[in-house]
Amino acid sequence: MRLHVGQYNLPSQARYEAAMRGIFERRYYTNQGPLARAFEERLQTILNVKHAIVVTNSTIALMMASEALAISGRVIVPAIRNATLAQALRWCRADSVFADVDVADGQLDVDALAASIPSIDRVTAIIGANMWGDACDAAALVALARARKLPIMFDSSHAFGCVTAGRRIGTLGDAEVLSFDAADIVNAAGGACVATDDEELAARLRNIRSSYGAGRSVAVVKTSNGRMSEAQAALGLLSLDDYETNRAHNRTLFDAYRRGLRAMPGIRIVEPRRVDTSNHQALVCAVADDISTLSRDALITRLGECQIEAVPVRPLDANERVGKHIGASWMRLPLGSHVSVCDVERVCAVIGEVVTRCCAAGDVA
Amino acid sequence: MNAHVKLRSLNELALFGGSKRFAVPKSTSNLVAPEFDLFVDYSRPIFESAGQPPGIVTAQLEGRLAAFHEVAHCVAFCSGFWALATAIVALARPGRREVLVPSLTYRRMADVIAWTGLLPRFCEVDAETLAITAATAAPCINEDTALLLAVHPIVNCCDAQGLVELADEAGLPLLFDGVESVYERCMAENGLSRKVGAFGHAECFSLHASKLINGFEGGYVTTNDSEMARRLVLLRDGEIMLHGAIDARLADVHAAMALANLDELDAQVARNRARYERYRTALAGVAGLRLVTFDESQATSYKNVVVELTSEWPLSRVLTLEILNAENVLARAYYAPPLHSKPMAYPHIPAELPVTDRLAQRFVLLPCGDFVTLEDIDEVAELLAFIRVQADAITSCSRSPGAMR
Repeated sequence: MRLHVGQYNLPSQARYEAAMRGIFERRYYTNQGPLARAFEERLQTILNVKHAIVVTNSTIALMMASEALAISGRVIVPAIRNATLAQALRWCRADSVFADVDVADGQLDVDALAASIPSIDRVTAIIGANMWGDACDAAALVALARARKLPIMFDSSHAFGCVTAGRRIGTLGDAEVLSFDAADIVNAAGGACVATDDEELAARLRNIRSSYGAGRSVAVVKTSNGRMSEAQAALGLLSLDDYETNRAHNRTLFDAYRRGLRAMPGIRIVEPRRVDTSNHQALVCAVADDISTLSRDALITRLGECQIEAVPVRPLDANERVGKHIGASWMRLPLGSHVSVCDVERVCAVIGEVVTRCCAAGDVA
Repeated sequence: MNAHVKLRSLNELALFGGSKRFAVPKSTSNLVAPEFDLFVDYSRPIFESAGQPPGIVTAQLEGRLAAFHEVAHCVAFCSGFWALATAIVALARPGRREVLVPSLTYRRMADVIAWTGLLPRFCEVDAETLAITAATAAPCINEDTALLLAVHPIVNCCDAQGLVELADEAGLPLLFDGVESVYERCMAENGLSRKVGAFGHAECFSLHASKLINGFEGGYVTTNDSEMARRLVLLRDGEIMLHGAIDARLADVHAAMALANLDELDAQVARNRARYERYRTALAGVAGLRLVTFDESQATSYKNVVVELTSEWPLSRVLTLEILNAENVLARAYYAPPLHSKPMAYPHIPAELPVTDRLAQRFVLLPCGDFVTLEDIDEVAELLAFIRVQADAITSCSRSPGAMR
């Protein structure tokens, strides 16, 4: 069976059936039901945030958060970011102004942005991203936004469970979006949440999401259907129960990749640098250009022939210096509960064969 | 709960201090549950394909729905709302700005259009059918019309073929919202009927728990246009960076629920029919209420129960609904206020629609779906009959706030 990039964590079928039987007994299927409320409460406790507003998926959560923050016009976003964020901003008619990323970890380069932001015209908001189980210098980015009186939100789709500078990701800026897609460490069948401590913003988000669970009625420009079903919430709750086990497994695989790729010329694992604790839900590696015949895309092709998926990190439509370089040379490798240490060793062996062949060709620059 | 106890005095109404007639709310939501084991069977591929990207059950559902609607393609979405929005983007004529839509329809329809960046232009409906027709739409078509968005009403269908011909003549793309007409058939050009789902350039449906096919949440678009189907898939999967791309995939667990309910659809329609016929019998003796009847010459789901409060009905609709809701009879006003009369903080074309304004005052949706038994229907009818007889006393009581509490 093909080895995929993405967590794809599932509960046992028995636990799934027990949770679903409960829904059938209650005959409450969606519209901010008891499980959606329970999921929100558990997320609020875990994230230590006043409001976790669950949503059907992360793109719609990002759209709702942008709408609730009245984000429009020119918005600063990192050059390397999720396609979901780029798409959400298009729906909100926001124009992206790209901030370059750090060459070492691919996260938004806050120092560079601080230097360049005075020369960027008509910025209306900053959207940060915490990518691949790592984080940007979020505190500095929030400080920068506050100093310029700009709204700031984070796409923390990949960051559930991560802690940066002593803070749980989910409490940064005006709002953060966390994803519970099947590909993320917590799987709520495509769910997501918007986390915020801001009472007004939370009220707007609940009114935008749907009339059920809207709470206090506040004026919003337009609504969205963003409801999370009871089935999604049930899966999310089960997945939270499994979080530590899944994180530990990710960590074991991460260490196996470290062992397997450590001595390999031209290959560098992009280590999480700004998190005290990572969920290790992604393994990103950089393919160096110091071996002239070794390319990221050729590696991806070779891995594909061996039934191993590797996903290129894409800069989307960014043309920034570092973003472009990363977009040509970084990739993500399989990690998750369906992946074993043996699988990782096989992935590393295939990469090793390609690297050895390139080196043997005498092409070391 | 005073079930099966005849109402004698006004004080027994919950609005005036009595206990609620129903302990469990009786709503207008369908909330149909399939056999649990059937749902579990359809869920099995989720576990058999562990470690693979999701979508295996959704793909199965798409195939089944395409066959059900007798159409070439079905593309499933996370909700009807985003199915509509994505289909609007995919279909709208580039460079034009207006989406022509009836005002007497889904309360969030204008919001859906606003998300696409286009402007809603509202048209009238036919006073008899409550549906958009070629005649009500035609006067609103202009050089800026990007899309004709025709919506089937809650009971029966709009004249789909007439709208197809209008769209063809005007050279406009035509999208149907068939959310309330999943099971229905309409007359097509050849004088034969065909399933709703195959008309126009595409049709949108919902799998929300309140709808005919309960998939927890969800929606889908049907089309016979292969190129359109391919484009909708690309947009829905967020695989491209085009305007309108959105990750709006349907979760497999939702697809499993929809598949199980689809298997049991004919049995559900038989239950709906029994409920509808009970309403017809029970309401026959209540003057001032006209049941909107289903056109039984074509296949119909008998799902929604709509009554008109005629000039003989002695109370306002607001007060009638207040009394019913207090009893846990969650009857609702039919599409009120209509879209054109709601405040909108986004660009739209203002409209004056006197027919719609008048119709929007008159209709009520009564409880339906799996929570409603035939005995419940008798009680709702009895309650309505009692309200009618006591109308004068109710009116005087409700004018004096002290008496209401």
